[in-house]
Amino acid sequence: MSDSTNYFVAAAVIAAKLDRATKVSQRLSLTASNARVVVLRAGESAAGFRPLTDAIHSLADITVSSSKRINTIAATLSKTSVQMFRADRALKYFLDVYARAKGSPNLASLDESFERTKAEYERLSTLYRKQVKNLGDELSSIESELRSAVILKTLCETEATRAKGEYREAFISVSRNVESTAREIKELIGYSRRQVEILK
Amino acid sequence: MVTSKNNAFLMDPGGVELFSAMLANVIKEVPVEKITHIFASHQDPDVISSLGLWDQALTTATLHSPWIWEGFIRHFGMNNITYSPIPDEGGSIQLDEVSLQYIPAHYLHSSGNHNIYDPKAKILMSGDIGAALEEPEAPLFVEDFEQHIPKMKMFHQRWMPSNRAKNDWVARVRKLDIEMMCPQHGRIFRGDDVKKFLDWFEALEVGILAG
Repeated sequence: MSDSTNYFVAAAVIAAKLDRATKVSQRLSLTASNARVVVLRAGESAAGFRPLTDAIHSLADITVSSSKRINTIAATLSKTSVQMFRADRALKYFLDVYARAKGSPNLASLDESFERTKAEYERLSTLYRKQVKNLGDELSSIESELRSAVILKTLCETEATRAKGEYREAFISVSRNVESTAREIKELIGYSRRQVEILK
Repeated sequence: MVTSKNNAFLMDPGGVELFSAMLANVIKEVPVEKITHIFASHQDPDVISSLGLWDQALTTATLHSPWIWEGFIRHFGMNNITYSPIPDEGGSIQLDEVSLQYIPAHYLHSSGNHNIYDPKAKILMSGDIGAALEEPEAPLFVEDFEQHIPKMKMFHQRWMPSNRAKNDWVARVRKLDIEMMCPQHGRIFRGDDVKKFLDWFEALEVGILAG
């Protein structure tokens, strides 16, 4: 049985943080769409920016889909951990009953419930460890995807300096949005990663 | 708890904190697999918040409780136990040679609430009706009804909201042959004290902010 009594709280916190990451990722999609509109308006002077908007879109799509996937894993993990906590608690109560009703001729009738709950706890523990590992792997994967956001931001800034004055500010704003959104997602992912390490 | 040849009927098994003490005491009387029926008079935590643990211990038991609380009580955790809703008008349950009756006691205090009456033993399990607030080491039986009144009065006036529901219950219970009335908290009423309680309760104004 686990010594930790609040792992199910940590799992719920991770699920909440990743739900937030999904919402922030959707903002990145909006930034990509805005950048496309500015490129269309700017015409030839923004030719270099066009492929970058595709890259922002692609980053946004990957981030949204993987954060949704991770969010589902975290929510499932949260549910598993609550079930595991319940089974763990029942086992502790059953052990208390064994002590309190010591000597009772009926005490052996509790064995089946105890063994069944213990088996269920072990099944949930295995599932829990698998889900924690899966979550950790997915978080690593999204973290490496987000590294490209730094390069994208630098490229956007470079292209912004080449654009005509009236569009320059709009492109600079796009690059700032890419950076701030990616940073916010990274912080949420980083926090979740540290929590997952605790769950391990 | 009421036991019959093959079954045990456990009434208002209590809150989470009491689970191991309760199961330990039950197991001294019957094996776990004999506990086939649980009854929750209403939805309060001190009545049934241990359900999630009973659910781990008993896989084939049935929980009998007012229909109104089914969605609510499931929040205590119920994956294995089956919920059997009791209709507002009450009913009965037959366990081998034992027959028990559900006596409606709505709004006393819960808005969906039943007592259990055993016509053979002439015992009424009255839940919160007749309950008294006093020390845990208090005697099991009411010894002096008049002295017992102050321990019950505020509880009944403050918790029970309806004079109409109260008088309806009193009229219903007067028709039963009762030798013992056993509330969930406080002391057991025997013989004449049952009638004294019904008279006192009928005259009591409830649904007031009594101090």
